[in-house]
Amino acid sequence: MALIELKDVNKTYQGAQPLHVLKGINLNIEKGEFVSIMGASGSGKSTLLNILGILDNYDTGTYYLDGTLIKDLSEKQAAAYRNQMIGFIFQSFNLIGFKTAVENVELPLYYQGVSRHKRRELAMEYLDKMGLTDWAGHFPNEMSGGQKQRVAIARALITSPRIILADEPTGALDSKTSVEVMNLLSKLNREDGMTIIVVTHESGVANQANRIIHIKDGIIGKIEENDKHDAWGAELIK
Amino acid sequence: MIRDLLHEIYSTLRQNKLRTALTGFAVSWGIFLLIALLGAGNGLMNSFSGNVGDFISQSVSVEGWRTSKPYNGYKEGRIIQLDQKDLDYTTGSEWQGVIENVTTTTSSTSATLVVGGKTVGGWFTGAMPEHQAQFKIKMAAGRFLNQDDLRLRRKVMVISGSQAKELAGGDDIEKMIGQWISAGTIAYKVVGIYHTDESDFRRSCYIPYTTYKGIYDNSDKLESITFSLNGPVTLEDHKAFEEEYSAAIKRIHDIAPDDRRGIWIMNGYTDNLEMAKASNILDIALWILGLLTLISGIVGVSNIMLITVKERTHEFGIRKAIGAKPGNILTLIISESVTITAIFGYAGMLLGMIACQVMDKTIGQDYVDIGFTQIRMLVNPSVGLDVALEATLLLIVAGTIAGIIPAWKAARVKPIEALRAE
Repeated sequence: MALIELKDVNKTYQGAQPLHVLKGINLNIEKGEFVSIMGASGSGKSTLLNILGILDNYDTGTYYLDGTLIKDLSEKQAAAYRNQMIGFIFQSFNLIGFKTAVENVELPLYYQGVSRHKRRELAMEYLDKMGLTDWAGHFPNEMSGGQKQRVAIARALITSPRIILADEPTGALDSKTSVEVMNLLSKLNREDGMTIIVVTHESGVANQANRIIHIKDGIIGKIEENDKHDAWGAELIK
Repeated sequence: MIRDLLHEIYSTLRQNKLRTALTGFAVSWGIFLLIALLGAGNGLMNSFSGNVGDFISQSVSVEGWRTSKPYNGYKEGRIIQLDQKDLDYTTGSEWQGVIENVTTTTSSTSATLVVGGKTVGGWFTGAMPEHQAQFKIKMAAGRFLNQDDLRLRRKVMVISGSQAKELAGGDDIEKMIGQWISAGTIAYKVVGIYHTDESDFRRSCYIPYTTYKGIYDNSDKLESITFSLNGPVTLEDHKAFEEEYSAAIKRIHDIAPDDRRGIWIMNGYTDNLEMAKASNILDIALWILGLLTLISGIVGVSNIMLITVKERTHEFGIRKAIGAKPGNILTLIISESVTITAIFGYAGMLLGMIACQVMDKTIGQDYVDIGFTQIRMLVNPSVGLDVALEATLLLIVAGTIAGIIPAWKAARVKPIEALRAE
């Protein structure tokens, strides 16, 4: 069984004008893959990511994450699965402003009930991996965008999740820092075998992935195998 | 985990120092007023029971009185004199286990006390040792009468402080102890001096009951019968007891059963109960006032917490995304609320207690003239440990209540919506 198995997933936003955003998504992602999801705004890619990240529900179909059916979960159950199985990386970093870098990294472990001492030790280890040991005691507003995103990556990794979900991870970064962050993600995928899913509309970013999934009007269009990282637009990032 | 939670709370409260302080002030003020009001109320009650309490004893005294109705051939206006029959009835089997420590006093005889050329008037009363406890007689020097005095019919007496002063010609009343004072043809040795206030000019001199009976009155007449009660608890119980007891005494003396006079029962227990009731009502009134003030503080905290929760929606979204359960968020907000309330509430409580001390040192020292004596406005205005504990509990409950609605709102918001919020 694949790590992620989506079968005929449908999602409609109810409202005055019901909006059918996902129209039967079928998708398998294997363990250790580096996948990017591309699409224009309004294509449903963010909704798909939210469903993959158990931040949102879907109406029909099935979603298996590492063999567990993710459907109609209580808030509490969803929170527990997010905590244990998923590491999030956001466009706007989403660090908590009044917590230091190390406190931010520790937070997922706090919700697992890990002891203070152990938490601090692990958080420092991951910050060290990101080359941020000296910045552990700094607050987010004292750091550059690249540093903030690396803190966020450390936070995503600290629980050893099954997948990393990155939503426009370079959207708020300059091109040089973007490259650094994407290289970091590739390295995590290559060396640690981490499964990574990146949602982006930048083809240069998408090109780092081994598989590019194009989503359009709520259905999966083209799926490009991209082992050689030579998809169109690759030159943009070079 | 508690330490982690406290750290979480500290780091968020640190973010909004001014807001936290303003919110806290409302709570401090509420608790301050509650404690200060209760303290002043207690001071007032202490003053009341301290002054009036001197005269109220934990005992029942029965005396004869003038009748107001003709009955059984007797005319109205007859003076009833208690005697041995009443005493026998009181100590008899009918009231066994209910009436205890029965004592009597004799009627009084006026006398002139003379010592070393100084004289002072007085009233001799034959009393028993238990009289001291029953009438809360405080000794200024020496001792009260004892059983040996009665058994040996000693010629000893206990005089009042004011008499002692006059006889001693100054404040050194101690030197009167052991002195022989002549009263008429008989000399008595002073064994004790009971305490009287500046304004208290009591002239009763107590001599042993048996001594009095031997010298001044060999009849079986009694001035009063005093006893303690072991049974009636409520005001109604006491009323019932008084009815039944007085009915029996009225039968003995041929007093009309419906005569409201004839015998006079002074029940110290009911007086104490009445005072406790008044004290309770005052207490409840002050609590209500204090609580109403505190409510405005709680509403303030709740209000601020609501705004805080709204401002922190995005943060809660992040927390939820990385694994915070609704319960975690709920706990966080409520603990913040309880922490603010508790810390500032405690500060208010402390200030309230200081205010009580200030009251004690200022208006607490003022005396008010109430005619026959002077009393202090407030005596020891303070709140006890029990009130402090109640207030602590109240703060925790108040903090929880203040936090519930905001916490519920924060816990319920969906993570994607919260993440979208700015």
